[in-house]
Amino acid sequence: MSNFFKAFLFISFLAFPFGANADITVASWGGAYTESQIKAYVDTYKDPGSVKFEAYNGGLGEVRAQVESGNIKWDVVDVLPSEAIVGCDEGLFQDISMHYDDFPKAPDGTGMIADMANSGVTNLSDCCAPQIFWTYVVFFDPDAFSGEKPSRAADFFDTERFPGKRGIHTWANGIAELALVADGVTPSAVNTVLDSQSGVVDRIFNKLDTIKDDVVFWSAGSKPLELVKSGEVIMSIAYNGRVGAANLSEGENFEYIWEGQTLEQEYICMTAGTPNFDEALEWMKWASAPEQQAGQAKYITYGPMRASGIDIIAANEPWFHTGINVLDHMPNTPDKLEISVVADPVWWADNGAEINERYGAWMGN
Amino acid sequence: MEVIITEQILTTDGIPLKESLKKAERNNKIRAFFLVFPLLIFIIITFVVPIGDMMLRSVDDSQINTVYEKTFEEYKKWDKSKDELPPESVYKALFLEIAYGDKLQLGRALTRMNYSKSGWKSLIKKTQRGIKKIVKSGEEPLSYKQTLIDINENWADPTFWYAMGQMINKQTSIYYWNAIDRTFDQDQNVVMQNEDRRVYVSTWIKTFKVSIYVTFFCLLLGFPVAHLLASLPLRYSNILMIFVLLPFWTSLLVRTTAWIVMLQQNGVINDVLVWLGILSDDGRIQMVYNQTGTIIAMTQILLPFMILPLYSVMKVIPKSHMRAAQNLGAKPTIAFIRVYLPQTIPGMSAGGLLVFVLAIGYFITPELVGGKDGQLIGHWIAYHLKTTLNWGLCSALGAILLGIMLILYWLYNKIVGIDNIKLG
Repeated sequence: MSNFFKAFLFISFLAFPFGANADITVASWGGAYTESQIKAYVDTYKDPGSVKFEAYNGGLGEVRAQVESGNIKWDVVDVLPSEAIVGCDEGLFQDISMHYDDFPKAPDGTGMIADMANSGVTNLSDCCAPQIFWTYVVFFDPDAFSGEKPSRAADFFDTERFPGKRGIHTWANGIAELALVADGVTPSAVNTVLDSQSGVVDRIFNKLDTIKDDVVFWSAGSKPLELVKSGEVIMSIAYNGRVGAANLSEGENFEYIWEGQTLEQEYICMTAGTPNFDEALEWMKWASAPEQQAGQAKYITYGPMRASGIDIIAANEPWFHTGINVLDHMPNTPDKLEISVVADPVWWADNGAEINERYGAWMGN
Repeated sequence: MEVIITEQILTTDGIPLKESLKKAERNNKIRAFFLVFPLLIFIIITFVVPIGDMMLRSVDDSQINTVYEKTFEEYKKWDKSKDELPPESVYKALFLEIAYGDKLQLGRALTRMNYSKSGWKSLIKKTQRGIKKIVKSGEEPLSYKQTLIDINENWADPTFWYAMGQMINKQTSIYYWNAIDRTFDQDQNVVMQNEDRRVYVSTWIKTFKVSIYVTFFCLLLGFPVAHLLASLPLRYSNILMIFVLLPFWTSLLVRTTAWIVMLQQNGVINDVLVWLGILSDDGRIQMVYNQTGTIIAMTQILLPFMILPLYSVMKVIPKSHMRAAQNLGAKPTIAFIRVYLPQTIPGMSAGGLLVFVLAIGYFITPELVGGKDGQLIGHWIAYHLKTTLNWGLCSALGAILLGIMLILYWLYNKIVGIDNIKLG
């Protein structure tokens, strides 16, 4: 064994206990979204080198495997609300509710939980801290329409007035709500209808049947933009952040149909049994402060979940890093909230599997 | 003079030769074992253990049976033909187990319960909150049944209780039944799944159909190419070989995306056809985001797996065989069919088996180009693995896939013979 090799072994042995625990790993969705997170939550952090992001594709499968095997690789995971609930129930995420009082307050002194409530959300699980709102929204290229342009949820399902294909995704979240709004349900009543009416799922699928022959399915978030840009479809459902990025950074001129959009939330949750509890908690506090949440909107058009974050943006327009006003592209401004559905994670946790199986059968037939 | 050997032959150190040989052989065996030992451990850890774990998961239902042990015990005494709802003792056991059970275990059981019927999650969580209040107040309920129904009227809904009957055994076959669109009724009889939810049988059929098509087209396209490669002089065939290998080495995602660019309605192929006047502008063909797209893309991606074994088999078939056949009076077609073709069977079957086995479990390509009806069974495995966390169903789907593979292998061995397979 060469002396060099020996020295290398010795040094790595010494360095191991210090090096291994200093960093925290955050699993998030990758792409422009994670880039904006890094710019807003990591580059501004007191020790930017200590936080590292890893891309994953959603779902709790990997988290469960890590917790069950005791081999925790992700200290913090960026998840959807239904996963925040299930993960906390199953003990995949760590209960941090006793620390909520120490999380940064709004500039006017409102606590974090109350600040979220001002945006109309209750913190759903005891294991997570708030991040952003994003939505399933319909968008189109106005140049593709010579005459009348679509403007309402019902237009998405009206193939007579707006002939052409529509892009929709391969799972039912967001589409179900859009179909109900298009069928005449007031956006604010959608969750009540979902929860209480028998036959509501049939009603959704009856509405979907009307465009069955005119849909193109996508499953990757970049796809709908390609579909609309290439003219493959005339309008599509998409993640609003992707459309916003195309408009604000790539000079596109897409228009949105905000009516019937479905707001989803993102949470950051701490993996149960992580060896880096303190470091992870400290970073989570930083990442859920209103200033940082507003900061993320400089790079992507996802709305801060804390109401005070929106206030910061409104007071400082033009806010986007290219010097453009961003609020028009934000999904959760008060006027848009009136015509939007806030997805009900409890209903989806209950019925998601069943409706998605039915959706799969519907797609295949 | 005759020498009679009465004693055993001894080696120089006085040990009988027979034993000495035995010892040497044993040493060799031990050495050989130690040489393969790392590989053996590797296979056990990365292959046998995970697959064994998967098989166990597909029949295991013990977690929920531990959480609701008492409830299930009482449940078994319930005579469904006599009473519409379970007796008080069941409600009492359930109340106590929810009230004093481990929170995390209850949470895990919750995920399981929701597979049997939608609505369990919110029902149990609402009940948990209700029970917490009652336990805090310190009063013992007069009727547990009434108390639970007061907390949530779903406890008076027999369908929830029937769904509970599906989970009552520690070992269950329900995941396998679910994987073929069947489920249990309240008495553990196998019945058809609700019509809206029947997706698996049709997906299985589709998976087979697509795999068979892909294998067939690979053979159809791969055979002439392999033949050309094998019959050209080496300097040309080496160049042509690059055309086979280059795509083979290119990332799967790149190739899949390239196919989308080629095939979509405003893509290259449609544009060319419209430009040539073969298609009208609104008569563009839908070739991607459906089953056709899946078959086209998968055929191209899996083609090298057919060409390479075929090529290596064809290369060693002596050219003289064909010449001899023709010399003896066979027309080229007859010579090809009766002399050449039979000799390529090992290559065809190796390629065919390889392509089919790969195709049946394909995920990324169908996911991206499959669109509405091109998704294969891998789609559902990934969905349940990641989104619903229904690992039991996941494992059952995986185990069925494995079983199909083993059956195919057995059939293949019966018909063609596994010694006939040749990769090079």
